[in-house]
Amino acid sequence: MDRLFRRRLEARFGDRLTGPVRQRHDQTEIRIAAADVADILRTLHDDPEWRFELLADLAGVDTGTHMQVVYHLWSVTSPDWLRVIADGLCRDDPRIPSVTFLWKGAEWMEREAYDMFGITFEGNRDLRRIYMPPEYTSFPLRKDFFLADDAARSPGGGVRPMERSHSPRDAAPGAVRQVRA
Amino acid sequence: MTVTRNLLPPHASADDPRITLDEEVGGIFENVPPYPPRTEREAEFYTLGDGEMFINMGPQHPSTHGVLRVVLKLDGEKVVDLDPVLGYLHRGVEKLCENADYHQVISQVDPLEYVSSLFCEWSPVMAFEQLLDVEVPRRAEYIRVLSAELNRIASHALFAGWMALDLGGLTPILWSFIERDEIVEMLASLTGQRMLFNYFRIGGVNGDLNHDFMSRLGDWMSRAVKQIDNDTGLLNENEIFVRRMRGLGVLDRDTALRMCATGPNLRATGVPFDVRRAHPYSIYPEIDFDIPTRTEGDCLARYLLRMDEVKQSLRIIDQCLHQMPDGPIMAKLPRLLRPRPGRAYASIEGPRGQYATYAISDGTDQPFRMRIHDPSFIHLQMVGLLTPGNLVADTMAIMASLDPIMGGVDK
Repeated sequence: MDRLFRRRLEARFGDRLTGPVRQRHDQTEIRIAAADVADILRTLHDDPEWRFELLADLAGVDTGTHMQVVYHLWSVTSPDWLRVIADGLCRDDPRIPSVTFLWKGAEWMEREAYDMFGITFEGNRDLRRIYMPPEYTSFPLRKDFFLADDAARSPGGGVRPMERSHSPRDAAPGAVRQVRA
Repeated sequence: MTVTRNLLPPHASADDPRITLDEEVGGIFENVPPYPPRTEREAEFYTLGDGEMFINMGPQHPSTHGVLRVVLKLDGEKVVDLDPVLGYLHRGVEKLCENADYHQVISQVDPLEYVSSLFCEWSPVMAFEQLLDVEVPRRAEYIRVLSAELNRIASHALFAGWMALDLGGLTPILWSFIERDEIVEMLASLTGQRMLFNYFRIGGVNGDLNHDFMSRLGDWMSRAVKQIDNDTGLLNENEIFVRRMRGLGVLDRDTALRMCATGPNLRATGVPFDVRRAHPYSIYPEIDFDIPTRTEGDCLARYLLRMDEVKQSLRIIDQCLHQMPDGPIMAKLPRLLRPRPGRAYASIEGPRGQYATYAISDGTDQPFRMRIHDPSFIHLQMVGLLTPGNLVADTMAIMASLDPIMGGVDK
């Protein structure tokens, strides 16, 4: 854990962080608003003080109440991974600026997040489905997209913890069929 | 001006109002975009210039390293642009993992990159260990590094063979499969499986080193360096191969970073980024090895760099064997794992680059979100950047030199 890194982040972006800087293992985590993504990531990428040149990962997350886009960055200036969580995207129409102007390689990762979560990345030139067929209409990795759970419907469902159905807590009643033996 | 039938979506028919009939050429499959373009880039790609044509390559094509379809826009034999179409192997592994027990995840992620399964297992296992704050016994870490480096050699051997095969050379793949098969049989006696090992466990590994594995490994190590020099000599000193690969598909440092490249593809452009050194994990800080880099950034550099890595892997294996500590191979953990709510990111250096897992726990026995970052997916999109301007046959060479595995691309 790089304590100095945390203080530097707080000093530089303090007023624009929407949550405390958290550190665990070799990761440092900041939370920002979706509208600030382009600006803050540009600073992290271009500024010689930070030099986060490598986008290690871009992930969409559906927390059940809202959406997030999570960036993992690497730089020679810190031994930690920097995790930037763009928080608070609404689930009905999640929108966030694209980072393809900094990392062209983010294009497919953004397409994947669009395909799986329906997050619109504004500024991505090629935002279409990448895995699912073009006429597909659902977003499979959203938490309101349920998998058929054979084990839960079996007569033994619910007896052994490993075979218990994993229904999201906020699922509409009756959305997931549950059998108790 | 040919568009094959495959360019049309499966539900399309001649009655579809979105399809314009091209009466002059006499068929509905001529000069037709697959469906109304949805993005700027798609509209640009599916507009033909003067004298240009589309050729569909795949999904069943021996050189695509799996089930990949590429739509090529050609001017004569020169590639103007290309559009890879993914999803033929998409299994929704992330969704399956989010509906599986923490232990069950390991067998779900195995078939991602089926030629280097141990690396696919490693990063989720490491992420879950971070969530659980569990310390892995040192012997288990050594066994992990030992088996994973063997797997890296097997993967690179396959790469060299495939690459030559894509260029039309049949011998190298037969030779490299001799080495690969020895390693795979060795790992089979350690893990019980030839390809989908299902060997790493949260907190350790599934089985200890056994006599059969050790004697096979000892045998192989005593002649490995000579054998590998012999095998790589077949290509390294091959005039046709070297002249074909040199200067082809050149990637420079800044473009590689902009394309999020990692692993050998990035190191071939001169950036010494290796997760084993940039973010040390497991017991790599205790082991002495170099990170080979090259500056040319062409197909030949990417090939030679991987062959250099094989030698470093042999050094690592040798040190592992000499430093192997005694002790347990599993941490003590309950059978049902319920990590406290939290987030973890674990990244490892595989044969193709950075394999990473971002896991979120909500306190139940199944991961709430599990993101798998696969280097093949990232590197495949560079084909669209490196190929235009080259010939159709070079598409294969460039794709092979980036070494994507479709199981990992499509997840």
